[in-house]
Amino acid sequence: MGEVIVITSGKGGVGKTTTTANIGTGLAVSGKKVVLVDTDIGLRNLDVVMGLENRIVYDLVDVVEKTCRLKQALIKDKRYDGLYLLPAAQTRDKNSVKPEQMIELCDELRQEFDYIIIDCPAGIEQGFKNAIAGADRAIVVTTPEVSAVRDADRIIGLLESQEIRNPRLIVNRVRADMVKRGDMMSIEDIVDILAIGLIGVVPDDEQIIISTNKGEPAVTDNKSMAGQAYRNITKRIMGEDVPLMDLNTSDGFLSKMKRLFGIKPA
Amino acid sequence: MEQEIKGIVFKGNSEGLIIVIPENYDFEQALEEIERKVTSASRFFKGARMKVAYRGQKLTPEQEEAVKAILDEKSGAIIESFARDEEPVREHISHQNNNTHKVPVRGPFFTGIDEGSCKFIRSTVRNGVRIEYNGNVVVLGDVNPGAEIVASGNVIVLGILRGMVHAGADGNKDAFIYALNLKPTQIRIAEAIARMPEDEESAHGICPEMATVKDGVIIVEQM
Ligand SMILES: Nc1ncnc2c1ncn2[C@@H]1O[C@H](COP(=O)(O)OP(=O)(O)OP(=O)(O)O)[C@@H](O)[C@H]1O
Ligand SMILES: [Mg+2]
Repeated sequence: MGEVIVITSGKGGVGKTTTTANIGTGLAVSGKKVVLVDTDIGLRNLDVVMGLENRIVYDLVDVVEKTCRLKQALIKDKRYDGLYLLPAAQTRDKNSVKPEQMIELCDELRQEFDYIIIDCPAGIEQGFKNAIAGADRAIVVTTPEVSAVRDADRIIGLLESQEIRNPRLIVNRVRADMVKRGDMMSIEDIVDILAIGLIGVVPDDEQIIISTNKGEPAVTDNKSMAGQAYRNITKRIMGEDVPLMDLNTSDGFLSKMKRLFGIKPA
Repeated sequence: MEQEIKGIVFKGNSEGLIIVIPENYDFEQALEEIERKVTSASRFFKGARMKVAYRGQKLTPEQEEAVKAILDEKSGAIIESFARDEEPVREHISHQNNNTHKVPVRGPFFTGIDEGSCKFIRSTVRNGVRIEYNGNVVVLGDVNPGAEIVASGNVIVLGILRGMVHAGADGNKDAFIYALNLKPTQIRIAEAIARMPEDEESAHGICPEMATVKDGVIIVEQM
């Protein structure tokens, strides 16, 4: 039975879609059977980031409305064995799908796949509710900005109230130089506020923009720092214990995390 | 004691600050006391915008100017106005009995702050969550920015208080707020409101502090 992981954030534009594409591809490269589900109805772009846009025939709304069978809507990524995409509808809105339908869909996908990675839209409205409805686990993405961290905190509370416990945190677009100068929130500060486990830190990397435009996730690029960070996150999702990459952020932050999880209620 | 009974009283309200000046009080002395109080509380006023009203003794326009000048200079706040508040001076009467804090603000309030019902929250209170309770509240975790706790009794945070807490919310000025690390967006006790100055370097880790109301103003003491 597969595992459904939702990638969410609250604030828009912090890297949910980028994360979904990279983690999904990373898992597929590691030999897992993976489907990426784009729930950002009306603003889909996971297909573009994956370079699969021109192959869309049916979409998520067609599946839940039973216009087509699930198998017909799944787009196979020819570059990686075992990687599929279920695209969002572009000409419908978020209310075209109900949480119960998402739960049903996730249950069906669990039979087929090892991992079901759901790309959540920004916000806390219907689209968010749909995206998390069938999820077993959640990964919350934030950037080192006060507003993004605030929104992440709100999202973690909402996940907890939906019984999605112990979400994991990705801090994206970190710039070690800025953190050092004190111009950017440190990982330590962010983890301190959000009080959840960190699953990865992704540096701000122009390679992401290049790879996004090419429709080729950075995780397959051995020269990309962000790609390395996503490879590590992929391994951690599969249960491997990989040390955090050194972005020369503040030194003592692993020991700080221990202290944090040691004394704080979960 | 004499001084205490007759002295100037500061009260916070939702608009800002009310200064109670007893009738027939020596103006020079009043001015001196206002300066002293405002200086010692400037930590909370800094950067705020507030309307200041006064009750009790009627001041001449020149005297009003003099008080406003001191507030402008010493509080660090932007004083939008300083004018006489025409409400009946109940505080003044009770003040003579030296028990200002026992005057009910809005009818009977929760009195179980030494012993009374208590709600325990066993997790971090996150952004977007509001907890309202008629009694005392203990949080075993942090209170994050965007979270609100409104209790008619005391609020104790065994973690970092970064959000908004209102203790004694239905009028008990004896209620307190305690946190292992106090850096709130804003705290309120009964009708008094305080916010932290933005530029203050706050301590990391555990540094317990308690906020109470004294002379109508919220003060914070290290424990
Ligand atoms: N680590 C990174 N380094 C540099 N650029 C990045 C990084 N992560 C994301 N970006 C860029 O930020 C932009 C937003 O990313 P993305 O579309 O993944 O965010 P999102 O959270 O899915 O947005 P939305 O809320 O609109 O769905 C994109 O242009 C992407 O290329
Ligand atoms: Mg997106």
